Amino acid sequence: MPVWVGPVASYLATGLRTTALLALTSVLASIAVGVVLGTLLTLPSRLVRAVIRAYVEIWRGLPIIIILFFIFFVLPVVGLTVDTFTAAAIGLSLWGSANMAEVVRGAVQSVPRGQAEAGAALGFPWPSRMRYVILPQATRRALPPLVGLVVNLTQQTSLAAVIGLLDILEASQRSIERLTLTGGDTHAVPILGAVLVVFFVICLPLTMLSRWLERRLR
Amino acid sequence: MINADGYRFDPGFLVDHLGELGGGLVRTVEISAIGMAGALVVGALLGAVSAFRVPVARQLVRVYVEVFRNTPLLVQIFFLYFALPEVGLRLDAFTVGWLSLLLWGGAYNVENFRAGFEAVEAGYVEACRALGFSRLAAFGQVGFPLGWRIALPSVTNTQISVFKNSSFMIAISYPELTETAVNIVAVSFRVFEMFLAIGVIYLGLVWLMSIGTRAVERRFAIPGGH
Repeated sequence: MPVWVGPVASYLATGLRTTALLALTSVLASIAVGVVLGTLLTLPSRLVRAVIRAYVEIWRGLPIIIILFFIFFVLPVVGLTVDTFTAAAIGLSLWGSANMAEVVRGAVQSVPRGQAEAGAALGFPWPSRMRYVILPQATRRALPPLVGLVVNLTQQTSLAAVIGLLDILEASQRSIERLTLTGGDTHAVPILGAVLVVFFVICLPLTMLSRWLERRLR
Repeated sequence: MINADGYRFDPGFLVDHLGELGGGLVRTVEISAIGMAGALVVGALLGAVSAFRVPVARQLVRVYVEVFRNTPLLVQIFFLYFALPEVGLRLDAFTVGWLSLLLWGGAYNVENFRAGFEAVEAGYVEACRALGFSRLAAFGQVGFPLGWRIALPSVTNTQISVFKNSSFMIAISYPELTETAVNIVAVSFRVFEMFLAIGVIYLGLVWLMSIGTRAVERRFAIPGGH
């Protein structure tokens, strides 16, 4: 094995830890915020729905890279200094929570209307109707797109490299630069190939899980 | 808008740089348009190969789809731009721009079209075959015209994603809209003006595209169907 492989591999491993932590943080935040917003989107109140709809449309409609840059550049201007990890986590969570809200809304609305009406007829108020009748059924339907969103967010963490976060992609880029400066050879094919493989190995099982869940629902 | 350091929103600054942003927008539209058109063709062709279960070709399509759907687009872009020269294939940022969008969007569209073609009622195709149509003719006359309509909503979602993802080309310094705006921010620190401008442009275009696609979906909706 060539001498450069060892140091590069351990450097990439450090980056991978950052990537994993960022993915975990944004997935959890997206689910937490998205479930609340998505549930509120099914409320009868027009005003509540309009406000949340605006949130969802803005963060879903913008390219994620714009959201990341926006957070990264704007927070310091309004006096908040944040590191690249926080900026990336906030940006990805804004995008993720908006998408999660749509997943939850879709799942809730796919539960046949009769279920909610039956609950209402039995005297359940809206919160109990959600808690005992709608959400247990909606959860099953939300699972395949939820896993899809996890795959998506995991892949989008790589964008944090563009605002300078030392994730696995940025680690690979710095390794390539360093090798070019010292030896003249970039070794970009094996290094970037390894990054592709790492993402593939993480995402493929999740994609297959999502498909399997979808088939099982039919 | 004003903050402690005396930052004041300056609409004049925005007006002064509209020309530059316009240039970036044109380049965004160029690479997106080529990428989207390519992704459509690749998706329809390979989606048919997939749905038709063409031996060997179908497995190759499967590999293409899984690789491109399960790795980040940004890493794919870096691979095309930084790694391929090592094996003697040097592509400029423009080529990497549309090519990466085409390959990425194509992989998603293969699945969209395959699902659409497979969702066509088996009885229709069987009826065609009973009438003496060849498999290919049955697909051309019935499977394709119905299948692409079923696939349309998911295809248009992918197409909009392809457009938004053209912003990834900032990573290889291709001067599309985002790169143009960020470059202006880097020398002027006019953060709010620039991000407001490109935010409005992207949201506006995505909004227009979704209105357009909804009209197309209504126009080609299968009567009584799906």
